[in-house]
Amino acid sequence: MNRYLSIFATFARVCLVRDMTFRANFILECVTSLGWMAMNLAFYLLVFTFTSEIGRGTGWTKEPFFAFVATGLIINSIVQALFMPSAEELTEMVRTGGLDAVLVQPLDAQFLLSMHRVDFSAFANGLVGVGLLVWAIPRLPHPPSPLALLLYPLLVVCGVAILYSLVIMLAAATIHLGRNQSLYDFWFYLTNFSRYPAEIYSGPWGGPLRALCTFVIPILLVVNVPARVIAQPFTGQAWGMIVGALLAALLSLVLSRWVFQSALAKYRSASS
Amino acid sequence: MSTTAGGRFAADQGFLARRLHAWRVWWTMLVICLEERLVYRGDFILGTLMRFLPIVTQVFLWTAVFGATSSGSIAGYSRNDIVAYYLLTMVSRAFSSMPGLAGGIARGIRDGSVKKYLVQPVDYVSYLLAARIAHKLVYYAVAILPFAGVFLFCREYFPPIPDWSTIGVFVISLLLSFLLGFFMEATLGMLGFWFLEVSSIVFAYMLVQYMLSGHMFPLDMLADIPTGIPGLSVAGLVRFLPFEYTAYFPAAVWLGKVQGAELVRSLLVETAWVVVMAVACRIAWWRGTRRYSAFGG
Amino acid sequence: MHNSSPSHPSHRPSEQPSAGGKAVLSVSGLTKEYRVYDKPEGLLASVTGLFHRKNRVVEALKGVDLEVGKGEFVAMLGPNGAGKTTFLKLLSGIITPTRGTARVLGHVPWERTDDFRRRFALVMGQRNQLWWDLPAAESFRLHKEIYRIETRAFERTRDELVDLLGVRKLLLQPVRDLSLGERMKLELVAALLHEPEVLFLDEPTIGLDVVAQHALHRFLAHVQAERQMTVILTTHYMKDVAALCQRLVVVTEGSILYDGSLGQIVDRFTSHKIVTLDFDAPPEASRVERFGFPAEIRGPQVILRIDRTRIADALPGILREEGVRDVSVEDVPLEEIVAQLFRSGTSDAAGISAPTGTPR
Repeated sequence: MNRYLSIFATFARVCLVRDMTFRANFILECVTSLGWMAMNLAFYLLVFTFTSEIGRGTGWTKEPFFAFVATGLIINSIVQALFMPSAEELTEMVRTGGLDAVLVQPLDAQFLLSMHRVDFSAFANGLVGVGLLVWAIPRLPHPPSPLALLLYPLLVVCGVAILYSLVIMLAAATIHLGRNQSLYDFWFYLTNFSRYPAEIYSGPWGGPLRALCTFVIPILLVVNVPARVIAQPFTGQAWGMIVGALLAALLSLVLSRWVFQSALAKYRSASS
Repeated sequence: MSTTAGGRFAADQGFLARRLHAWRVWWTMLVICLEERLVYRGDFILGTLMRFLPIVTQVFLWTAVFGATSSGSIAGYSRNDIVAYYLLTMVSRAFSSMPGLAGGIARGIRDGSVKKYLVQPVDYVSYLLAARIAHKLVYYAVAILPFAGVFLFCREYFPPIPDWSTIGVFVISLLLSFLLGFFMEATLGMLGFWFLEVSSIVFAYMLVQYMLSGHMFPLDMLADIPTGIPGLSVAGLVRFLPFEYTAYFPAAVWLGKVQGAELVRSLLVETAWVVVMAVACRIAWWRGTRRYSAFGG
Repeated sequence: MHNSSPSHPSHRPSEQPSAGGKAVLSVSGLTKEYRVYDKPEGLLASVTGLFHRKNRVVEALKGVDLEVGKGEFVAMLGPNGAGKTTFLKLLSGIITPTRGTARVLGHVPWERTDDFRRRFALVMGQRNQLWWDLPAAESFRLHKEIYRIETRAFERTRDELVDLLGVRKLLLQPVRDLSLGERMKLELVAALLHEPEVLFLDEPTIGLDVVAQHALHRFLAHVQAERQMTVILTTHYMKDVAALCQRLVVVTEGSILYDGSLGQIVDRFTSHKIVTLDFDAPPEASRVERFGFPAEIRGPQVILRIDRTRIADALPGILREEGVRDVSVEDVPLEEIVAQLFRSGTSDAAGISAPTGTPR
């Protein structure tokens, strides 16, 4: 474990050196991802000029909603920074044979393949997310309890773990398919459902969709659980969600591990 | 092909042969595009359907907003209008979006493959346009299925089908949006003659485009946002930019949001933008290639 | 002398330590099959491709047996697609075989235990493992972490290797700015940092110029001898083989065609020698034909192919011929033998192994 940490630190350092050699590019990447985020925030502000709450009686008024958005920014930026660049590179590695070089090294292949690149520019959004959260917390109608504040980081980690599992399974799928054109698209469309509070999915279509995105692909637990814990009153119901998020994180990690290993096994038996 | 006949006749035949040749090139391109699509068919239908997914979340978001407000309409849109609007912008985008165009041009400039268009007797811009039309036609041939499915499924959200003249204007606005989108992206790609890396410019363009084209929300919602200039709202300002014609405008025409003198004026502005961008694209190509050959590429 | 397995008789270099009797690497019946999908061409074909895809099974390796002792430097020679790279990938545990067994350093490679992976290295000539945008020194440091190399040992090995190759000043330059030859040298340093006991080299000299090839040869020979490393090298170039290896394995179409010493391949697969005669002036064809051997006239030079068994009888007569100034007798060049082996494939290996050749 200790060894993996130090290897990861070396990866991160190497990537930072790399980013700093292409500084202009790095700054540009920060700016564009910040631009994208600012645009979304402007859209939410626009929405709140027409309403004071997202969904009647849901409690997602302006400040709680922005705490929600901030949580989403933090979780997504962690995933984008730590896992996405490696996953995107995987198909290319299969094509060029770079995967072979990884497989001979005395390390867990999944660790190496999912974490060898760190995109530091993606942390820019996360920092804004933290800022937004710090702005929103004192303005919340129900200030979070110390317990909620304590649970929040843990639940953020759970959210990251769920998204990580998804990335890994998508990447494993690209080992099978041999190309990744749609990996990023698919990722975008999937995580799209996690962008808003789960309460908006109601009615004859929303109900089943919400159930699907909670119990089958637990994408709705990613942002919703930590955001609820911090931005909404802490009720008994919250415990159910917390346990659910923990379970979902654990199960999806196990499943993604299995999927990834079987994809590698297939690669090993199907290539020459 | 006979070249022994009299001068004038031969010239005519030459012209005919050239035309025929052009059509054959075009036809080959179409067939290749179609083959490419068919190879990735599963991807393609799934991909087209997936593109509707963000709309699903947007629709639920607006439904929740409508649920929280007592008024049945926001900026003149009922909830059903909003659903219809988002679906219609998908049609607009199917015409105006040019995936890979700017990036492809810039890549060609960077790796030097654009050189062959300086040598071959082909006009590059016309070639690109022909290729794009082929590409789009093939796209429509396959995408019509998922599109029809989604629209049929959501038919109750739409107002009654408008009269023929509105449908006519809708079709014209779509065709213009195709040309506008094409010339804007092609011009952007040709910036590659001057800048090594245009991908960030393209990304910035896409950001602005996404917001100001009305892809994100109906632009009428900006009507009450002041720009700082007295008497001019953000919506009023956006009306004079080219972006809204690539998504908002066709959808608004179908929904009857733009009518009468306003409609005529918008069509004129759109046409003007098409002309401006087409000219800009030409100029960029001329000056770019001159610069290119001067600096030895 | 080595107690060799029957598959590669004798002629093992005598400098092999007798302690190496235990094989470092042993392979038997190793077979790798894989499926390929034939991509249909044309519109109609792509449409029918919607419904069924044609696939066929390709055998990359067909039951290969091989045994290699400690400290051996083995060359695998074969045309493209012969299965050399597949073989190395199997021995490295990158891919799993369809059938057969293999043991490398006592491990089954495709079980991929960390202990095994820490004891060997694989270098592929056409792929780079160094980080493209960074100086090699950074990649080395990463290697140190991954292979858990002690700092002192790491620095000592790195300095030694870097000085041997004379690439110290390249360590701090981004790899993308280096030439292919320089890159390959650094790739080798990276691969040897953890002092592997077994080294697999997949076409390490591909695309390199003569000077760089030479430098690599010297380096590899030196390091291999010093560390008593077991090396398997695949290549297209006879030069690599001649410079480095005592033992040669020729592979075509997934099977081993020849396994033995470099010298013996000449005895085995050629029945004749090349006799070159220098005349005062270009001789007439009719004069040359009288010798009764296949001949080629190049100006004043005549090249004869004479059966080895008859050389002693034939030479005196030829030398008495008027106008012969000089004569040389040589073996058939290795390139030629190997090219012939490649061409003949597995099916009729006996065909070229002339009357004197021993059956495999």
